[in-house]
Amino acid sequence: MLIIGEKLSIIAKRVREAMMKRDKGPIQEIATRQWKEGSGMIDANIGPAEDGGEELMEWMVTTIQEVVPLPICLDTTNYKAIEAGLKVHNNEWGRPLINSTSNDPERFPMLELAAKYNSQIIGLTVGKGGLPADAEERAAIAAEIMARAMEYGVPLEDIYLDPLVLQIATSQDHAMKVIDAIKMFREMNEPPMKTVVGLSNISNGCPKHIRPILNKYYFIMLMNAGLDAAIADAHEMAEAMQEKQLVDDILAGKEIEDKEKMIIIKKTLDVIMNKTLYAHSYLEM
Amino acid sequence: MAFAAPKETYSGKVFEVVIGTDKAVAFGGENVLPFHSFEGNVPHRPVIAYEIQDIPPDDWPETVKKVYGSVSGDPVTWAKYCQDTLNAKAIALRLLSTHPDRENRSPEDAAKTVKDVLSAINIPLIILGSNHVEKDSSVLVAVSEAAKDKNCVIGKAQEGNYKTIAAAAMANNHKLIAMSELDINLSKQLNILITQMGFDKEKLITDPMCSALGYGLEYTYSVMERIRLAALTQNDATMQPPMLADVGMYVWKIKETQASEAELPAWGSLEERGITWEAVTAASLLMSGAELLIMRHPDAVKAVEKFIDELM
Amino acid sequence: MALTGVEIFKLLPKTNCKKCGHPTCLAFAMKLAQRQASLDACPDVSEEAKKILGEASAPPIRPITIGVGDKAVKMGEETVLFRHEKKFVNPCVFAVEINDSMSDEEINKMVDDVLSSEIDRVGQKLRIDAIFVNNVSNDAGRFESVVMAIASKAPAVPLIIATNNPDAAMVAVKAVADKKPLLYGANESNVEAMANIAKTYKTSLGVTAKGLDALSILTEKIKGLGVDDIVVDHGARSAKEILEANTYIRRAAIKKNFKALGYPVINFAQRDDRVLESLVATLGVTKYASIVVLGSIEKWKNLALFTLRQNIYTDPQVPMQVEQKIYKIGEPTPESPLTITTNFSLTYFIVSGEIENSKVPCRLAVMDCEGLSVLTAWAAGKFTASKIAQFIQESGIENEIKHRELIIPGYVAILSGAIEDKLPGWKVIVGPREANGIPAFLRSKVSQ
Repeated sequence: MLIIGEKLSIIAKRVREAMMKRDKGPIQEIATRQWKEGSGMIDANIGPAEDGGEELMEWMVTTIQEVVPLPICLDTTNYKAIEAGLKVHNNEWGRPLINSTSNDPERFPMLELAAKYNSQIIGLTVGKGGLPADAEERAAIAAEIMARAMEYGVPLEDIYLDPLVLQIATSQDHAMKVIDAIKMFREMNEPPMKTVVGLSNISNGCPKHIRPILNKYYFIMLMNAGLDAAIADAHEMAEAMQEKQLVDDILAGKEIEDKEKMIIIKKTLDVIMNKTLYAHSYLEM
Repeated sequence: MAFAAPKETYSGKVFEVVIGTDKAVAFGGENVLPFHSFEGNVPHRPVIAYEIQDIPPDDWPETVKKVYGSVSGDPVTWAKYCQDTLNAKAIALRLLSTHPDRENRSPEDAAKTVKDVLSAINIPLIILGSNHVEKDSSVLVAVSEAAKDKNCVIGKAQEGNYKTIAAAAMANNHKLIAMSELDINLSKQLNILITQMGFDKEKLITDPMCSALGYGLEYTYSVMERIRLAALTQNDATMQPPMLADVGMYVWKIKETQASEAELPAWGSLEERGITWEAVTAASLLMSGAELLIMRHPDAVKAVEKFIDELM
Repeated sequence: MALTGVEIFKLLPKTNCKKCGHPTCLAFAMKLAQRQASLDACPDVSEEAKKILGEASAPPIRPITIGVGDKAVKMGEETVLFRHEKKFVNPCVFAVEINDSMSDEEINKMVDDVLSSEIDRVGQKLRIDAIFVNNVSNDAGRFESVVMAIASKAPAVPLIIATNNPDAAMVAVKAVADKKPLLYGANESNVEAMANIAKTYKTSLGVTAKGLDALSILTEKIKGLGVDDIVVDHGARSAKEILEANTYIRRAAIKKNFKALGYPVINFAQRDDRVLESLVATLGVTKYASIVVLGSIEKWKNLALFTLRQNIYTDPQVPMQVEQKIYKIGEPTPESPLTITTNFSLTYFIVSGEIENSKVPCRLAVMDCEGLSVLTAWAAGKFTASKIAQFIQESGIENEIKHRELIIPGYVAILSGAIEDKLPGWKVIVGPREANGIPAFLRSKVSQ
């Protein structure tokens, strides 16, 4: 399982300020921590970055790779910024990953970059306007992305298909659809297509204290479905691995010793599987 | 191929709620989807309450304002007219005058209005604030006390003010409307929070927020349908209170109920258009699960009652 | 049972020849699995695969088209019971009843009403879709001449030829066979003759029976007689019975894959009380009718029913969008504030509602961001400084207002500097993050 450290995102205030001031300190500190916690790649999310995106991505890639011997996941809708990042990326530490192409024509050219710079690329299974309704629609878009990748000369082995995790607080029924999509994607090629998710979106909008709980147990279910990579909090995922046996036991219908933990896991799995309706206080019911 | 009717039975059921004292009415109680009496029990028909307010309806369009021309100057006369002439089964009194941007009348004034109306009618009363989160929390406390033991419906408790309102409704033996903004998960959350205060879940009425035909109706429609399915298929007690559709106030502010035929000839007669707009909005929300409706135009109410007659 | 895309893929030739219009066999298979493509598009598929796939990929409710050309209407192909699960596919058809014992004048007037029923609403053209010509006179000659008169006056409008008299059906269908009408009126006593006419003239056939058991026996019989395109009438006329029968048919087709009832359903809503008729039609639109026959088509009723149909048949996965433009709320003067947000309809309804609550007249610039909410649109690169600047400049608003201040949502505060760079002379003011903060914000702004 590849964990792509998610913490360097423009959405986080501290990171945003460091990016704006080109202050290496916080960026390198966060990158280093994620590496130590088990990330195998670092996501650099600079947002749409319309202005100065090239220079910012260049700075991010070099700043991170100065201290951390890991490849970078280049995360922006700005084509030129991606290219700038690819140019300075240190491939000794692994191949970069472009985040992302999709079925939106604006994102097709990202495949060109993947081919030109021998980069890996995420194929997000969404089109233009509207979210996929179910696993089948995600698989249909995946097939189109795969066909397009072949046209652009990007080998299927270099694609990570991303079924797009949605917030459980607003789109509960999609939690299982994403898991089904992961299974379908894997069947769509031999060897199986690789898959990735932006994990923590599952708990976006949920109260702080339940976010790690949802992230961890959802992660385990995705893993069981064959997931290859997750953009996630490495620290949380390490915790998840320690609890994996408990979750698997509960999924198999067994009792576990720690009754309190069992209730939390059971209630969370029921919410993920859409057996009970999500509410912020679901653990208290 | 022989046909076997694919009947469905569910583990859950909607709570039955009784409102009023003298001429009380009940709604809810079914253990199937709306009007599916062919596969389960639908003990009550939905209830339609006539909406009145404590100040003259200056901002209602002519089509509906003129119906109440001679009675709408005073809420007591207006309420009696709905009860005695229109045969209303319930009345919804909106205390619009308490809104800080309207007349900013005091909670005490509102309490007096409620007392006066209650003493003039014997059908159930739904008492609504002005939908100003802070002001409602004082107004609805005062009117709950004024209406003590009259088994009214108090509304609406929202995320920002439910604590005081729920406490007052509980202390004075009323039912309570819990409103959240078009989101099933927030609706469940609010019901949880209110019941965690000790409020009886069987005295709640869920308002997932109404919207008019053409103006987001499909959101309300689907949230209601999902709430009802959660109540029935998941036996989710937090989603089992009956649902309110506060139809009139959303319908009678949109262009389709106001623009004249001269202005938009393709839209046809304004009078019938407005009435039909209110009736169709109400009927579609009945199909998705509403049991309590608040409406304005008597002709729309009559048409919906006939529709319910046909469905029961 | 439906096959998955990958299972279908295994049965395809795997040549990636693109003749089907899809880039690969895999992509084609995925479309087939969703029933959004037809196997006929593949020229090289084996007979064996055709047999397996043909049965497996048949939609649970058969697609039926009536009429020809632009105004032909398609029905069926539904896949779910509730609209939040997945989009309802083919919007229900509204047909008005014209009966042949009416005077020619009355008939003319109603056809005119159908022809002038078209309304444009949120970018869609909506109209009374079809005419249900009812042979009340039971006179074949009269029926034929009325059908022909209607067809010549309204050549593009799809027709439903309604009679249970095979002689009348024969002459009327023959007269308009090239328009692919629906022949409605097969029943237990005339089924052979009616099926024969439908088969001869290649029309679809509407069949009626009392009770769903009798109805399924009849549809099987019709299929056996060589007619595949069927529309069913369960005979229910009261709202209660319509709800029951429509629900059972939809459930049987979708959940049990019961083929004998896997057809579009026709409902009759005619009532003397026109408002009540609208409500029975509401039942049909929300609960599974593919055709609703109306007794009258007043403009006000049409508008309400078209709007309802549009609401119920929107795709729940595609955020509903409002038109990109600058909306006036209240009666703004050239000095009134200018605010901006995205075109996600729920965002628009809530923001415009809060501006109304503030009682501060305002202009609200709504920008096309494919229906995404503010933060999502920003992250997706649709609500960016340069796109906002371009929209403001091209909107012509600079000629309408005296000030140069733009209020942006608090969630995209980060954009304020960049917008000012791209909109020379403008000042950007950061508004509240949540819509409920708008009234206080606007009031304090204008009181300054």
